[in-house]
Amino acid sequence: MFKLSLKQLIENCKIDDTKAQGELYKLFSGKLFAICLKYSRNYVEAEDNLQDAFLTIFKKIEQYKNKGSFEGWIKRITVNTVLQCYRKEKVFDIINENTIEDVELEVDEDTISIDYLLKIIQELPDRYRLVFNLYVLDGYSHKNIAEMLDINIGTSKSNLARARLILKKTIEDYKTTQHSQSL
Amino acid sequence: MSDKKHIDRLFQEGFKDFEATPSDTVWKSIEAKLNEKNKKRRVIPIWWRYAGVAALLLLLLTVGGVLLNNTDDGSTIQVVDTENTSPEKKSIESNNPLNESTKTNTVVSDNDSQDESNESSIPQSEVITNKKNPSKETSIAETSASKNKNESKTNLISSDKLNINDKNINVKIVAPRSNNTLANNPSEEKNNTKNLQKEIENNIAVSNTSEEKNKNVDSKNEASLVNNEKAKILIDEASKENKAIANLNNEKTEEVQAEENTEENKRSIEDALNNAKDVIEKDNNQLNNKWSVAPNVAPVYFNTLGDGSSIDPQFNSNSKSGDVNMSYGISTSYAINKKLSIRSGINSVNLGYNTNGVVVFQSVGVNTKSSSALQNINSSSNNVSLISSETLNSNAPASISSSNATINQNLKYIEIPLEIQYTISDKKFGINIIGGFSSFFLNNNETFYQEDNGNRTQLGEASNINNLSYSANFGLGLNYNVTKKFDLNLEPIFKYQFNTFNNTSGNFTPFIIGVYTGFAFKF
Repeated sequence: MFKLSLKQLIENCKIDDTKAQGELYKLFSGKLFAICLKYSRNYVEAEDNLQDAFLTIFKKIEQYKNKGSFEGWIKRITVNTVLQCYRKEKVFDIINENTIEDVELEVDEDTISIDYLLKIIQELPDRYRLVFNLYVLDGYSHKNIAEMLDINIGTSKSNLARARLILKKTIEDYKTTQHSQSL
Repeated sequence: MSDKKHIDRLFQEGFKDFEATPSDTVWKSIEAKLNEKNKKRRVIPIWWRYAGVAALLLLLLTVGGVLLNNTDDGSTIQVVDTENTSPEKKSIESNNPLNESTKTNTVVSDNDSQDESNESSIPQSEVITNKKNPSKETSIAETSASKNKNESKTNLISSDKLNINDKNINVKIVAPRSNNTLANNPSEEKNNTKNLQKEIENNIAVSNTSEEKNKNVDSKNEASLVNNEKAKILIDEASKENKAIANLNNEKTEEVQAEENTEENKRSIEDALNNAKDVIEKDNNQLNNKWSVAPNVAPVYFNTLGDGSSIDPQFNSNSKSGDVNMSYGISTSYAINKKLSIRSGINSVNLGYNTNGVVVFQSVGVNTKSSSALQNINSSSNNVSLISSETLNSNAPASISSSNATINQNLKYIEIPLEIQYTISDKKFGINIIGGFSSFFLNNNETFYQEDNGNRTQLGEASNINNLSYSANFGLGLNYNVTKKFDLNLEPIFKYQFNTFNNTSGNFTPFIIGVYTGFAFKF
């Protein structure tokens, strides 16, 4: 187990203790890297984002006053770091934002590997991916998402619907190919 | 057929406990960045220290440059000269004699005409190439026979006349002309001429101001013109006849030589510009140093002009002697223009004076005490009476404990002066007239009596001293410029005090004489 309690670790990080920073990284890099992977386009980009996120965390750790969950705090920082990267890039232009009629969004229950799920998420257009992640996987409301991404709530909803649709289709296609291959 | 499942659920379950291990390189680069940041934090002060050293060096160089400006000129000339010795075909072209009075306007117009001649590339005067041509008057022509692959031909244009009439002086203007640059960059050539004009104007200013400089430059020019002996002779002649003009001429020659080098043409122009800036800065230096801060210390002498006493009427005719005390403080001044500056500051000043011929005796009885109490002193010791020895002599002698004592009144003020300083002379030794007024804030107030035997006893506090009083100041300021930025000051100032005391007897008019010495930093 860890020699230091999380609280002590945080305190040590506040005074730029490199050892403590290393410990903190070991403790949370797995979870945060998962976030980065979900929100990024690929592995390399995810690593870059993870690095930026940790640097931001170490820089801002002084501002963490032990209120609320530390994990939640660093996760928010990580998500924001990734979003910031897209804000900088301004690659948000998605033309078609019509609302889509409700479609059946059920897929066959099958064991689909996490790697494949991650892959198809990463392959989504940037904003679809972000909205899907924020709403479905990290539980943000459309209102929050709209603020975070500087878009309308309606846009957020329609992006989500499109993301779902794409993912469903991709999975179905994947299954048929697998099926035909296995035949 | 497996169960259907909402796509959200599929992903939520899939990612529920999803963790992934990033490669080690991520942490390594984070660590590196963190160390970098920490190092940066530590490095900054060291960097500042270096910057401080650099700034100090720069300051020293600036000061040195100002002091040894002439030497600087010399070195640049020499550098230019060596460049010029590179194989370049030089032809000396004699130019129209330029009639130039000391007015700058004519200089400008002269240059205009040169400009034209340059641009049209038709020399208005005879071109002497590869020949020694004795011109009719005092002219020169010197050529180095060496040919040059580089087609750039540098022409040294000089006038062939050095006519010195009463006030009309023919100055040799030497102007550069390079065929290449002329063909390619006529605009650059124009700039050259403009720079030259500036130079000339500045040079005139310089040549007018100091002869010493001229001499120095003369000698340097001699050094610079080693390979142009005839020109040197000419310049020597010129210098004999009129040093100022010689300087002008020489400086122009420098400039021309600097610009002669066509390969280094641009750099030369920069040099010329820098030189021009130096000269301009030198001229403006005085005005640049608008502010100065001067810590000062002064022995101050406090006394009264007329008879009278601030202590008690009985001491009106007693002799008074002023004490010499110290005043110290700091003043800042701001130069409104070259002549006038306004200054203020803050000083702590101790004042004191003695009333002599006082008799001190122990007053035992209550009556004695009340009768002999001093008018303006809130006495702290009750059993002592002081009385003027004169009064005592006229009265019948009593039992006296001490015969001859002095009353010593000490005042401590915070002084805030507001003065105007008018500069009479701003040479190496500066002379100023200073006038203004000061506000005095009472800080401490004590009265002692001192007996023959040296015993000093506190008597009490004077009750008639205003907490705020004023003085009219008048003085003379002498300063010695050690450098452009650093002065030594000596300022004897007389301060006539207005309302120091509110209940004086007789004609008690106190004043202060202080000799304020200190140094001033100008910036």
